[in-house]
Amino acid sequence: MKNEQFNNRNISSDYFEVDIADYPTTGWGKFKRVVERTFKLELLIGLWVVLREMFKFDTHTVKYPEEKMPIGPRYRAIHEMKRLWESDAERCIGCGLCEKICISNCIRIDTKIDENSRKEVSEYSINLGRCIFCGYCAEVCPELAITHGGEYENASDQREHFTMYEDMLTPLDKMKAEKQLEFEGFGAITPHEDERVKKTPLAY
Amino acid sequence: MIKFYIDSKEVTATKGESILDVARRENIYIPTMCYLPKASANASCRMCSIEVKAQDGFVLSCNTPPVEDIEVITNSDSLYKERQNIMKLYNVNHPLQCGVCDKSGECDLQNKTLEFDVSEQSFAVRDQARKKKKWGVHTYDPALCILCEKCTTVCNETVGNEALYIKPGGYKSHIDIKLANCIECGECISVCPVGAMASTEFKYSANAWELDKVPSSCSHCSSACQLYYESKDGEIKRVTNESDFSSLCGAGRFGFDFENRVISKDEEAFSRAIEAFKNTSNVVFSSLITNEEAYVLNELKKKFGFNLVNDEARAYQNFMKSFAKFANSSLYNATIDDLKSSDYIISIGCSIESDNPMIKFGASQAVKYKKAFVSTIAPVEEYAISNVVSLYINNEVGSEEAALAMIADTFIKDKSSQKEFFDSLDFGYLSGESNISQEELSLLKQNYIRKQNPVLIIGEDVINHPRANNIAAIAGYLQKNALFKVMVVPPFTNTLGVSLICDLDEAKSGLSVGYNVSADFTLSAKGSGDLDMPALNQQEGTFVNIDKNLVVLNAGVAHNGYELNDIANALGVKSKNIVDYTSRLGFKTIEFDDLDNYFDNVGNAYRGYKIDAMQNQENLKLDEVEELDEFNGSIVYSRNPLRQFSIFTSDTKQLKQKMDLVGSEQFAIASKIKSGDNVKFSVDGVEFIRHFRVDRHMKGTVAYNPTYNMDSKSSNYRYNQVELEVINE
Ligand code: SF4
Ligand code: SF4
Ligand code: SF4
Ligand code: SF4
Ligand code: SF4
Ligand code: FES
Repeated sequence: MKNEQFNNRNISSDYFEVDIADYPTTGWGKFKRVVERTFKLELLIGLWVVLREMFKFDTHTVKYPEEKMPIGPRYRAIHEMKRLWESDAERCIGCGLCEKICISNCIRIDTKIDENSRKEVSEYSINLGRCIFCGYCAEVCPELAITHGGEYENASDQREHFTMYEDMLTPLDKMKAEKQLEFEGFGAITPHEDERVKKTPLAY
Repeated sequence: MIKFYIDSKEVTATKGESILDVARRENIYIPTMCYLPKASANASCRMCSIEVKAQDGFVLSCNTPPVEDIEVITNSDSLYKERQNIMKLYNVNHPLQCGVCDKSGECDLQNKTLEFDVSEQSFAVRDQARKKKKWGVHTYDPALCILCEKCTTVCNETVGNEALYIKPGGYKSHIDIKLANCIECGECISVCPVGAMASTEFKYSANAWELDKVPSSCSHCSSACQLYYESKDGEIKRVTNESDFSSLCGAGRFGFDFENRVISKDEEAFSRAIEAFKNTSNVVFSSLITNEEAYVLNELKKKFGFNLVNDEARAYQNFMKSFAKFANSSLYNATIDDLKSSDYIISIGCSIESDNPMIKFGASQAVKYKKAFVSTIAPVEEYAISNVVSLYINNEVGSEEAALAMIADTFIKDKSSQKEFFDSLDFGYLSGESNISQEELSLLKQNYIRKQNPVLIIGEDVINHPRANNIAAIAGYLQKNALFKVMVVPPFTNTLGVSLICDLDEAKSGLSVGYNVSADFTLSAKGSGDLDMPALNQQEGTFVNIDKNLVVLNAGVAHNGYELNDIANALGVKSKNIVDYTSRLGFKTIEFDDLDNYFDNVGNAYRGYKIDAMQNQENLKLDEVEELDEFNGSIVYSRNPLRQFSIFTSDTKQLKQKMDLVGSEQFAIASKIKSGDNVKFSVDGVEFIRHFRVDRHMKGTVAYNPTYNMDSKSSNYRYNQVELEVINE
């Protein structure tokens, strides 16, 4: 391994400044801005659209939050962590592929060895403020553990807000009631996979 | 020179090279699974098979030397089939657990299974239960093991511990361990090509591809071994190395979490530091420092006129001064590589077991590969290296000067230039006082016959001896006479660098500023002083290591506080980065960023550059040997246990251990104490209270007293006569 990559200490070289007009600082500048904004009447345009829709009948507007659109099973909203049907055990093996592939770098996973010498997820969070819901994590997951769910209401008063492993994990009672959803497609097992697997000869 | 052809390219081999070695040197690829360039060939995998034109069958390239004019073929359909079948066999019953395996992403089995396109399995055998074992620093999973034997080879040859061995049993064969022999170096972990031998602490905590790899050098002892800090999210998770070619000891591999975590810059403490530097009479520092920082301290000394104090490095500096006058060369001439390829090793005043692990590794390899004769001259017999040592010579404590004088007398033929010195030697007296007999000396001499690469190791007990000056002179004289290559082991990480760069003084009265040494104002990388400094795994810089190489240090973890360069800048010794000083150290004018830190395909190290020795032509006379001080009663030897060197190893999670006074049964009886007692004693005015433990392997009346938790390394002779007081409640 050579050292070159460590020799660039000027960490800011990849950044560039966005060209935004400065805020007015003088009284005259501020006044000018107020006048400009007032007489462009931008505000009224928005108000007019709302007003128009209020009096129109038969619109397509969904009256959220009273009304909600049905969500398709492959909609990519907040992630879910699935359990195994056979044992109810968590599917995630802590391989870290989702963390690696995540292009917005919002998954953070920590693992450790548990008392049965198995790998255990000790910390798993997704920063929903960064997540772009691209679905790469679900696609890469070798265990079909992480999937996207239909929960899209994740407004927050902070840019950074997280969903944790426990919150994503299918609750045990839901599992017992066999309500865990599986769907075909993105990240799901391909149909007839069993027939295509070449088996190891079990000579004994 | 043997000329032959690999894939119709004409190549030449030197004696001792295998076909594989030549191929690698020529950048011709031959796959291997069990080959470890730094040790002898295991020849257990058969992946390296090649064909030779006009010959039937396959040849193992890893352990076959080439014959003149043969034509080697490295790839053919039948070779591909053979290799594919080997990979298939490795995969029989191999657990499908790459998803969680620590090795995934850097696993030879995974890589070569894909490389040879093993898409289906045609072999099968009944599997059996195999139990995972947790041994210490390492955890062994026999289900993953491919029995390549790399781990047993390093343990037996490279490290020389004979802890790991193969428990044969056909398909049941697995690796087993004699735990008492294991020194927890982790070499076995580093060479395992699969996830079978894994680090207990690291296991399942991160994946190979998540880790940022920073090439650096170990900062715990003067070997400054090559290593990589591998970190995730700003935390070092593990240390790895180029394990094919170089080694690490347990301290380097497991003692990596010594960084100084600070949240922010403490401006108030910083301004106090500036004031302290302006008003101080002394700046005291330890040799756990980079060359650049040592240089900066020296520049500050020039500017402010304080005394620059580092007793341990000054003792070494003085030793080398005297050595140089008689060796006619400013530096000693042996390297660790010389040691590895030596066939005759004498050490004096050095704890081979623990002073510098690479010396121990080197001596083991010399014994394995060159059948070296190894003799240690020391008051204690270190039983842990008994498989390496051919002759223990137990000198009386304090008699190192006499010992070296007798060696000089025994080996040097032409004594004319130092006639007075040799005439003055009273053998009867010296032999009586030092307890080294004529027979022992003649054994040394007999075994010296026909040896090609003899090495003399000079250790800390000699460097810090009250008569160090004259011992250095004799050692230098021995080097000049080319009877031995000589190695003067620098006692601390960068003692050699500091001794070459700094102009050191004795402490004078008045205020002191300490850098990693407690003083009136203390800069501490341990976080225990007045101003926080970066630890050595958070710094860029260089060391001069035991091989007299200037090697590179890169930061494994970031540091958010101030560093010495900030202080220097505030005091008017200005540079943007501390590493701007690298080219000004007085060695070669190469910039830090142009220094390398890697190994090539065949293991040649490109690590910084070698520091050249200066030659001189003095002809001085050796001093007569002085009468010896007597040491009686209970003697403690301030020697640290293996894997412990300083305050920076003492608290690391995986190295932490109890600081016991350890002695023999005989010591206990002579000192009227028993195992389990708490005893109080003082060494050079420092009071110690230690728990005493008997080690039944030890002999003699010298006990080991660890001192690695003291912030400054002492420059005193390490053996001390003490009064022991039992203070049990
Ligand atoms: S990819 Fe799947 S199995 Fe791997 S860590 Fe992510 S969720 Fe867990
Ligand atoms: S040793 Fe290699 S092949 Fe085996 S499970 Fe681990 S990564 Fe996979
Ligand atoms: S840690 Fe070192 S001494 Fe222990 S078994 Fe491994 S190689 Fe041998
Ligand atoms: S533990 Fe690793 S290095 Fe040792 S024999 Fe098994 S596979 Fe080879
Ligand atoms: S402590 Fe010394 S021998 Fe051990 S890895 Fe570090 S430099 Fe090498
Ligand atoms: S590398 Fe030659 S047999 Fe394994």
